[in-house]
Amino acid sequence: MTNTQAPAADVAALQAALAAEHAAVYGYGVAGALMQGNDQDTAMSYWRSHQDARDTLTAMISRLGATPVAASAAYDLPFAVNDAASARRLVVYIEEGVTRAYLAIVAVSEASLRAFGALAMQEPADRATAWSGQTTAFPGMTPAALAPKTALATGTVPT
Amino acid sequence: MTTLPLFVALSACSGPNPLKGPPPLAADVRTLMSAILAEDNLVYLYSKTIDVHSGLAGELSPLLAEHHAHLSQLQARIIVPPGRHLRVHPTARPSVPATTQAAIAQIMTAERAAISAQLKRLAGATSSQAQLYASIAACEATHITLLNGQTIS
Repeated sequence: MTNTQAPAADVAALQAALAAEHAAVYGYGVAGALMQGNDQDTAMSYWRSHQDARDTLTAMISRLGATPVAASAAYDLPFAVNDAASARRLVVYIEEGVTRAYLAIVAVSEASLRAFGALAMQEPADRATAWSGQTTAFPGMTPAALAPKTALATGTVPT
Repeated sequence: MTTLPLFVALSACSGPNPLKGPPPLAADVRTLMSAILAEDNLVYLYSKTIDVHSGLAGELSPLLAEHHAHLSQLQARIIVPPGRHLRVHPTARPSVPATTQAAIAQIMTAERAAISAQLKRLAGATSSQAQLYASIAACEATHITLLNGQTIS
């Protein structure tokens, strides 16, 4: 196995995304069981996508010389999920969480990881829209993150 | 007290030469301004499409509102010197196709191009800027999903 030195922050961001994917695999299992027809077929397809993403992140983390975080045996659901409607709300919630996790990878300085995070977050954002029929202006970003940070260095501004 | 000729006094300064004009824009500022311009072009396209095809207003207005939000966020990250104004005018003014199907297709093409451009802005950006570009790109991807009718009903 190749061990490469990667900044701890990079590995931490990847581990957080892996944790999110583990939770997504679990959550889709719960939600899919309450769905029927086309919804269930779609949930099954997205469940497999999350498994693939989980495996990709596991391999990435291993290549960096770290031990991939393991899935929990069970997860606390954010709200009662007991019918098709609540199952649909759950999968939207899951996809929004996975989107946030990949956006966190974009914050790292390593260019290829940053690009990976930016591309990877488009899929869960898309799935959230597919389930909800709605879009959001800034997928994955918290209100605090939307406030401008430190001032940019300025030169001239065309007037 | 002896006064020096102005140019001699100024040449002794170690800072920027005030007679040489303003300093060039930093690279991340130039990138941010290109993002602002690209977003403004999208706002123009959506607005023009709604003007031409009013029946699409219900579908496109929420997405236009999100592009306005993108523009505001990007502009908020530019510090404009006092007395100056940030000039933003769309540079791409395409004509809107006659059919709604073609108009939607044109918008989807523009969104795809915008996504590609945002991803190219990531390298060299600050963490905060990179996350904003990536989030906007993800939003634009969801616009394509919606316009393509790829929701699960």
